[in-house]
Amino acid sequence: MKSAASVPEAEQSTRPVELARHDEAALLELLETLVQRHGYVPREFSDEVSRLVAVKLERLRRIQAKLDSTIRRDVQQHVARWRNEEGNLIMILHAIQNQHGYVPREVAMELSRELGVKLARIYEVITFYHYFKLQPPGAHNVTVCNGTACYLKGSTDLLNALRTELGVAEGQTTADRQIHLDTVRCIGCCGMAPAVVIDGKTLGHVKVADVSGHLVALKQSNQEARP
Amino acid sequence: MNALTPADLEAIARTPVVDPPEWVRVQLDTGGIAAGAELVYGALAAARTERQLSFALLRAGSVGYSFADPVIEVQDAGMPRVLYGRMNAAVASHLIDEHLLAHRLLDDHIIATRQRGTSLDTAVTHVLVRDTSGEGSRTESLQSAFNAELKRQDLGDRVQVVRALDVGIYEQGAVVQLLPGAVTYANIQEADIALIVRESIAGGRVLENLRWQTPDRQKRIVLRHCGEVDPDSLDDYLRRAAGYQALRRALFEFTPEQVIAEMKTAALRGRGGAGFPTALKWQLTRAQPAPQRYVICNGDEGDPGAFMDRSVLESDPHVVLEGMLIAAYAMGASRGYFYIRAEYPKAVERIERAIGQARERGLLGDNILGRGFAFDAKVRLGAGAFVCGEETALIASIEGRRGSPTPRPPYPSVRGLWGMPTAINNVETLASVPPILRHGGAWFAGHGTPTSRGTKVFAVTGKVRNAQLVEVPMGTTLRQIITDVCGGVADGRELKAVQTGGPSGGVIPVQHLDTPVSYETLQELGSIMGSGGMLVMDKTDSMVDVAKFYLRFCVDESCGKCAPCRIGGYQLLQILERISRGRGSASDVAQIRRICLAMQRASLCGLGQTAPNPVLSTLRYFNDEYKAFIEGGPAYVRKISRTAAPAAKSADEARRVPAAGETASGLLAAKS
Ligand SMILES: Cc1cc2nc3c(=O)[nH]c(=O)nc-3n(C[C@H](O)[C@H](O)[C@H](O)COP(=O)(O)O)c2cc1C
Ligand code: SF4
Ligand code: FES
Repeated sequence: MKSAASVPEAEQSTRPVELARHDEAALLELLETLVQRHGYVPREFSDEVSRLVAVKLERLRRIQAKLDSTIRRDVQQHVARWRNEEGNLIMILHAIQNQHGYVPREVAMELSRELGVKLARIYEVITFYHYFKLQPPGAHNVTVCNGTACYLKGSTDLLNALRTELGVAEGQTTADRQIHLDTVRCIGCCGMAPAVVIDGKTLGHVKVADVSGHLVALKQSNQEARP
Repeated sequence: MNALTPADLEAIARTPVVDPPEWVRVQLDTGGIAAGAELVYGALAAARTERQLSFALLRAGSVGYSFADPVIEVQDAGMPRVLYGRMNAAVASHLIDEHLLAHRLLDDHIIATRQRGTSLDTAVTHVLVRDTSGEGSRTESLQSAFNAELKRQDLGDRVQVVRALDVGIYEQGAVVQLLPGAVTYANIQEADIALIVRESIAGGRVLENLRWQTPDRQKRIVLRHCGEVDPDSLDDYLRRAAGYQALRRALFEFTPEQVIAEMKTAALRGRGGAGFPTALKWQLTRAQPAPQRYVICNGDEGDPGAFMDRSVLESDPHVVLEGMLIAAYAMGASRGYFYIRAEYPKAVERIERAIGQARERGLLGDNILGRGFAFDAKVRLGAGAFVCGEETALIASIEGRRGSPTPRPPYPSVRGLWGMPTAINNVETLASVPPILRHGGAWFAGHGTPTSRGTKVFAVTGKVRNAQLVEVPMGTTLRQIITDVCGGVADGRELKAVQTGGPSGGVIPVQHLDTPVSYETLQELGSIMGSGGMLVMDKTDSMVDVAKFYLRFCVDESCGKCAPCRIGGYQLLQILERISRGRGSASDVAQIRRICLAMQRASLCGLGQTAPNPVLSTLRYFNDEYKAFIEGGPAYVRKISRTAAPAAKSADEARRVPAAGETASGLLAAKS
């Protein structure tokens, strides 16, 4: 009975199999339909499917290996640059953060292997210093100066307005990973206090009323960038 | 490139600097760049190509006029050299047409020189005018009046009258400066105009009764080449700033002991905060037998509202390196580190470049200037931890560890970096060393007060009219710094207090403003000299709020190693929060004092020991404000939050800087 039912289906399913050859999502869909319908993957399909899965897995493995070896190569390069320097850990972390915008976990693990230093000790250092980040930065950065001069001239109000608008606190990134909100201590433009830095551009004498406008401009620039 | 020899240095010293006849110099420091200095540079370069001009386009760091960023300096043959502030790309390209092609100075952007002259030997070609009362609304009519009078006396073609952006004199009515001699008159009346034109401009006679006699309060020793020298060029430093001549003198004319003796004569005290005698620090480090000694430049600049050290590192990096070399020679150190905040990428870049250049020319290496002195310097980045400004924490950080302080003694001069004797000096301290070696310790000690010699750089910010870097001899009063140099409080509001020393310092109320600054006087007032942050506050600023701001900073930055600081700071902040919400109780003040005392006594490092200072000093001078919160309760909080909001808004409006081209019409509108 099973085989009787599956034969015409196999014919019907040539197209999905065809699709699955090129498209991971289609492969998954095919598997799902088969399992739903039969409770298992019928023999007529299983050879073909396992071949497909093996190909995909192999490709994934290659990507991962490539990623690993890039990470390894990068870390090795950073370490080589600082190899003979005593106390090099912090400088290497700076180099890593410069490259990635944060210190990714895989990189920290690789660094631990490369330096022969316990991962816990690396994290102990990373977490001590505010400058090192463990999360990837947002696509855009909005940074409010919270130095003394800016504070006196109302940076707290600016920060509150931004928090409300973005729905995140300082040090956090919006859920869509678009905007990262942060504070900084004196960027040396006290003459322009209160100052806000948006994607590296410093704005002076910023007013609470301006905040929305700046964010709208940022979002628009996003849309232009992704047609 | 060849290593420099002492003979090369001597030859450079004898050769005068020749600049091209026409140049424009753009001040490209972090503050300037943030305000658009790079765009200005680009616009100047484009205009130069487009109009096929040959003026030299030069780069420099900052002269310190943050209020006017971006700032450029222009030299045109036959014209007085001038600084222009509040530039932007459009004004820059207009400036080329006006100043370099039509040979006319540009209105509304000039910052007049503070080096005011006393004689009119050279014929007057330009008159800078500025109404210094309030926002200067009558500047334009002053200009017209002068123009009319010049015309009447048939001098209209010879002399240009220019509206200045700033003349460095405040609330002294109408002020004019006659260029190129820079004779300056203040408080001039309508009737004086004809007299000035006849006597001074036509006749070349100085009107002593009108002349502004108050000398400039500033004395630039540390900052003397900032804004002039190209921070990216060793050659420029060598030629323009007599660079490495102090090192040559130290290596060839002095023994290390004599260098220390010279420093002792100079009586230089550390500019990083505590004011420890620099000569003594070097001597202690030198006296410690060891195979290796280190010198560290502390460029961690932790005060969250100060930027002196960054500005010096960015504007004149070689002077700090030269200072480090001399320090190293004096104490027998062969390795040095610049510990600089990672948040200061420009400073890092410029110091790294300076080190590279010095290495290339043999100013760093195994045999510096052929004198057998070996030294090398490296940069290490801070990573956003205020506590790493503390010496033992800084050392831990350079060693690649968490920056937790350790108990002293042993002091770093005994057991420092990698266990070796180490001297840690602040940026400004090291930058003071080359001038001392060049001009002598006695010359340096000739400035300042008996206990605090020399000059001090302050970053004056907050509710001040002109936020800027100021370098004054020790002993200058706070009032002179804030009122005479920086123009007093913005918007004509009333000054309330000044905060010095950042998170480790305290507030000084207006009644003590005539105190001459020195390590001792500031300490007596419950504050400290600190590294040079000076925050000006007006009557609308709440002292409880300011205390809370600094305390929160310290609590955030506490490394948590010892309980008095970790727990005490947190509790203190809780109490202050409660008070400022109107939920304080009568016993809170006593409790605050108890916690402060415990923190001061029992904290392991300077952070915890000094964190109570902002709280204690506001309590000392502004107890009323705490009382008002405690006694007034939530009703009081509601009342002040209602009154504060509109006031802040209108101040914001008033301070809005007119955009280029907008100034003239704005002033006109204000007048009519
Ligand atoms: C919490 C704390 C932060 C400090 N921050 C700085 C700083 O940012 N820059 C600095 O030069 N000194 C700082 N100091 C003082 C230094 O520890 C050290 O005394 C100074 O760099 C010595 O240099 P000097 O003798 O030239 O002043 C700090 C001290 C403490 C306790
Ligand atoms: S006083 Fe504060 S910053 Fe200093 S060691 Fe103790 S906890 Fe750390
Ligand atoms: S405090 Fe914000 S720029 Fe200095």
